[in-house]
Amino acid sequence: MGTSRSDGAASRQWTVGLRGTNGVFAQRHLDGAAALRAPSVTGSASPSLRRVLIANRGEIALRIIRACRDANIESVAVYSDADGTARHVRAADHALHIGPAPAAESYLASDRIIEAALRCGADAIHPGYGFLSERADFAAACEAAGLVFIGPSPKTLAQLGDKIAARRAAVSADVPIVPGTFEPLGTDTAEAMAEVAAEAERIGWPLLVKAAAGGGGRGMRRVDDPKGLRPAIAAATREAAAAFGDGAVYLERLVEGGRHVEVQLLGDYQGAVVALGERDCSVQRRHQKLVEEAPAPGLSTEQRRMVHTLAVRIAAMVGLRNAATAEFLLTPNGDFYFLEVNARLQVEHGVTELVTGLDLVREQLDIAAGSPLSPATLAAAARAASPTHHAIEVRISAEQPLTDFAPAPGRITRWREPGGPGVRVDAGVEEGTVVTPEYDPLLAKLLVVAPDRGAALARLRRALGEFEIGGIQTTLPFHRWLVDQTDFVAGDLRTDLVALNWDPEPLWREAARRAADAVARIAADEALAPGGARKGASPARRTEGTAAWHEAARQEAVDRWT
Amino acid sequence: MDLGRAGRLRVTVEGPQPVVVEWDGIMRAGADAVDRHVALSVRPLPDTVASRAAGQRSYEAVVDGWNFLVSVESADRAELRERVTRAAAEAGLHVHITIRAQIPGRVVRLWVKTGDAVEAGQRLLAVDAMKMENEVRAPRGGVVGALPVGIGQTVELGDDLVTLE
Repeated sequence: MGTSRSDGAASRQWTVGLRGTNGVFAQRHLDGAAALRAPSVTGSASPSLRRVLIANRGEIALRIIRACRDANIESVAVYSDADGTARHVRAADHALHIGPAPAAESYLASDRIIEAALRCGADAIHPGYGFLSERADFAAACEAAGLVFIGPSPKTLAQLGDKIAARRAAVSADVPIVPGTFEPLGTDTAEAMAEVAAEAERIGWPLLVKAAAGGGGRGMRRVDDPKGLRPAIAAATREAAAAFGDGAVYLERLVEGGRHVEVQLLGDYQGAVVALGERDCSVQRRHQKLVEEAPAPGLSTEQRRMVHTLAVRIAAMVGLRNAATAEFLLTPNGDFYFLEVNARLQVEHGVTELVTGLDLVREQLDIAAGSPLSPATLAAAARAASPTHHAIEVRISAEQPLTDFAPAPGRITRWREPGGPGVRVDAGVEEGTVVTPEYDPLLAKLLVVAPDRGAALARLRRALGEFEIGGIQTTLPFHRWLVDQTDFVAGDLRTDLVALNWDPEPLWREAARRAADAVARIAADEALAPGGARKGASPARRTEGTAAWHEAARQEAVDRWT
Repeated sequence: MDLGRAGRLRVTVEGPQPVVVEWDGIMRAGADAVDRHVALSVRPLPDTVASRAAGQRSYEAVVDGWNFLVSVESADRAELRERVTRAAAEAGLHVHITIRAQIPGRVVRLWVKTGDAVEAGQRLLAVDAMKMENEVRAPRGGVVGALPVGIGQTVELGDDLVTLE
């Protein structure tokens, strides 16, 4: 096994898998991946979990239950009053009720969840994403109760949850970060405020005030000039204190026209960490991701290797185990800056799965049981800088794209998923599901994979056309618009692509006119039908030529719906 | 080629600014060539007592992922109704109107009770949906009539909230 100091410009025959802790890295040869396997630990028999409780709901709970079933592990779902008949509850081997609909009294009630796990004899808890997934205190409580927390250690979670601490860790791992401050800002005295103003001048304008405990764009403010600084800090502090119970904020330069590139990481209990490729998540709206793809379009193999190396360095610095994602800003100049680590499975993990062929949840389960990184994982890590497939994911949410993506809960009256080659749908809902206002509006993830990006886009366009959702408004119109945007098609991605180009009003109006026309024809057809029946009108009478087939199918669909 | 006459129709697509289309009701062959790039489906919604009485039919139409609530009625009948409403307004009469839920959620505030006189724009109640409070305001002045909802009650899209006399 080769040993060398990581220098960030790894030569061609090195992979970015590292083992070891305390900043002492040993890189491995591509073909020597197997040598990484720790000889100790468990002997020949592969350890396994017996029963896993999934502390989540919706599509991710179902996704984890499926991986458990594949691994012959019993799954235990938990549910609130709102979710008694949900798909994840029916899919699991066991299901336990944990409280009323509000998340604070159910999916966020760590005591109830741990009690449920002990009551049903589970030996591990998978937190999914969101809810309790990055809570160091929850992970510690699991361990104290004798349960395996499927995720990083409480210590790692605590360190990465504090963004200022994560920035410090990146600096000590020799990973570039966006210029900014390293201490929580004090603004209570005139001297402190003067110091903050001086820091801001040093960083340069425009800049961002960000919450140390932040996420999802909350506790974040843009500042364009010195006079905007104080109100922005005050607002961000207030928002962060309300949302996270911690009002600490810091300053960071705002890089415009940048891209959001993140690296999937897996680490085992033996100290090995690998990068499994990167994802581009630049298509965002107010810091909420809408579309993710792997690999990031337009990067050279060297750039991929570089960002993978940076991610693994940070992971090794914080002793990462299980799954996590390191997020980077890619500037228009081609520089990578570390942003933060999400120490959990990401919503968008599926695109990495489609490109690598791995089941990341299965790997998480094996890692949690004490297994070293699997040969398949090591092989995927070795190939990560030269991917042979391209995958794209779009998030289908219960939101109204016309009115600034306002929540649009309701009952789903029709749900027809697309299928065919290279299409995967991870959904937590079905026909008849009532989407409640209590939880996240994400309904499903539509993923496509193909040998290259152009073919993947064609599949995405087709799959979006096949997806039929009735009863509630979803983000489908946005995605149908996006797949035909010149910049998106060209792979010219920027985090402000949506803000600069999305104008839904004309699209809505045109679609409304088409809807009026279609309904008028169908209503007239009903009126003309014998006895004014609402169904059974003959499509043949209404059209001729090639469109008749379309029209007939449309009418048939109408009849089925009645 | 004329394939039949259904009478003039008025089609209303609900939205922030409703789209209203008048259609002559004449079926013409080839007039609706299908654009294969458009995804379209239409579902008739069940009649209600009120819609049947008003001679209206409702549909959900989904076009390119946009979901629309579309109602259809005879254009003659719609014009007649408008003339009556206008005449009543000129005569100083107010016909009652029913305000329905535009979003499903939970009623979290009630600012009025039956018998209250309200002005146009006055807050009536608020519906909480996905952590956002949506205020419902009076579209015109009047007196609060039926108020079939209470605080904490869950309402679905289209449920009656308040009647203004």
